[in-house]
Amino acid sequence: MPAECAIEVKNLSFGYSDVLLMDGVSFCVSKGDFAAVIGSNGTGKSTMIKLLLGLLTPSNGEIFLMGEPLSAFNRFPKIGYVPQNSGSTAGSFPATAEEIVLSSLYSRIGFLKIPGKKHKKMVLDALDSVGMKSHARSLISELSGGQQQRVMLARVLVNDPEILLLDEPTVGIDVGAVTLLMEILHKLNIEHKVTILMVTHDLSHVAQYLNRVLCLSDRNFAEDTIPESLIIHAHAASHEPPHEHVHCAACEQPHDPEHCAVCAQTRDPAQCSVPCTEPCAACSHTHESEDDS
Amino acid sequence: MNFDILQYDFMQRAFLVGILLAVIIPCIGVIVVFKRLSLIGDALSHTSLAGVAIGLILGINPIVGAMAACLLAAFGIEAIRKRIPRYSELSIAIVLSVGVGLAGILSGFVKNAATFNSFLFGSIVAISDFETALVVGIAILVFLSFILLYKELFYIAFDEQAAALSGVPVRLVNTIFTILTAITVSVASRTVGALIVSSLMVVPVATAMIMARSYKQTVIWSVICAVTATITGLFISYYAELKPGGTIVLTAVALFLLALLLKWLRQVILSAGMKGASNESA
Repeated sequence: MPAECAIEVKNLSFGYSDVLLMDGVSFCVSKGDFAAVIGSNGTGKSTMIKLLLGLLTPSNGEIFLMGEPLSAFNRFPKIGYVPQNSGSTAGSFPATAEEIVLSSLYSRIGFLKIPGKKHKKMVLDALDSVGMKSHARSLISELSGGQQQRVMLARVLVNDPEILLLDEPTVGIDVGAVTLLMEILHKLNIEHKVTILMVTHDLSHVAQYLNRVLCLSDRNFAEDTIPESLIIHAHAASHEPPHEHVHCAACEQPHDPEHCAVCAQTRDPAQCSVPCTEPCAACSHTHESEDDS
Repeated sequence: MNFDILQYDFMQRAFLVGILLAVIIPCIGVIVVFKRLSLIGDALSHTSLAGVAIGLILGINPIVGAMAACLLAAFGIEAIRKRIPRYSELSIAIVLSVGVGLAGILSGFVKNAATFNSFLFGSIVAISDFETALVVGIAILVFLSFILLYKELFYIAFDEQAAALSGVPVRLVNTIFTILTAITVSVASRTVGALIVSSLMVVPVATAMIMARSYKQTVIWSVICAVTATITGLFISYYAELKPGGTIVLTAVALFLLALLLKWLRQVILSAGMKGASNESA
């Protein structure tokens, strides 16, 4: 049975002025996916995120979020959006991490109402989930780039989002901070079933956490780093049938039939010496063949 | 110390009006500074002069004229800002140019130049009962609005796009804030002066940012700095026989320099302490 789409785009076209940026793009990001949007500069990665949020209007096509058409969708607090350079932009604002995260609880507090104790607890819990509780009262400007980015993540997590849209969250932070951030996102994806769509250029550090890659335009760019089976080509090739995946019953990640992203073992269902219904010797997960289309 | 200054009716009124304005101007100023529109006070106050001139020419209360001009200017800035969001500061420069140009031309038609000039540098010690009542009413309105819209204004100043996605009625809150800014600037032009009001909107906020450890503290310190500058400035101007508007602003600047000095001293002491500790451990 095909997985339900958390984000579905059908025949989407968009351009700035007279320049057509994307034409007839279609794809589905399934519930529970951890997907990356990749492509060269100017291929419309950030634009795609803004279209999904309704911040830009497509010239043609349809967008569905959690099964609802975007025009009728009104649960935006359930869509956590972390814009590009949000950490560094916030860094110039004289506010504490706690104040910044609290502001995102607006939809729960309400117009002209004052936040209560339960809201402050939710803020501390969100900061705790990204390892920033001890910095709750620190000025955002006094935090490192990686810490600022984690506060920006806590800011959207405080609303228990079902979908996370991240625009280049690893830009400007060191490798250690990238790993920490990706581990947090991985945990959210696995334990809390949060669907994640992330624009990135940094495939080398994030590939191991992904189960889908949405490739805008530049096919070769993706193939260098990511197994072909994970790639969804969203431009001219967007109408090709999706590749078959092997679905891991234990971790619920669709895996490449030839290469398991989790245990790095060959898992070709046809040639695998270990039956695919038995636990993998390397990662202890049970893999079973399933058409992910 | 002899406090005969407070025996006079006009000085009591000056203190009341000055303190009320010192509470509300930084409240507006905090949002203005964080929205990166620090010079909006300049644009509005200069445009208010055009309104003052129209009021004096037509024989209506110049504060009412200033308020109308400020409202038009404030909405003009918002309208231009939306059309050129990447260069939003240009909207201020354009409206400022219109305001100064109009004020310059219209001032030539004002018969009583002394009245017009009193709006340039203010005349806090010569305000009428009507003007006092107006300031009290506007101060209550602005302060209550600021408290009620505290979290909405913070969210919009921090991230207008995210605020809109979260359901904050951004357009409504921005419109209310624009109106509050315009009426605050127009009424403050009469008291501290059109050329000085924007300084009072920005300088206490700059001082507060040096000392504060949160947004909330920035708001509180901004108000404390502005009230301190106003009270001290009024005392100094009375005893040294100086113009009150300019004295208040220069006192605010002195507080800013003092805060910078204290911050520098703190850093010197802290780094000396750290050096001492590392020498001991070595």
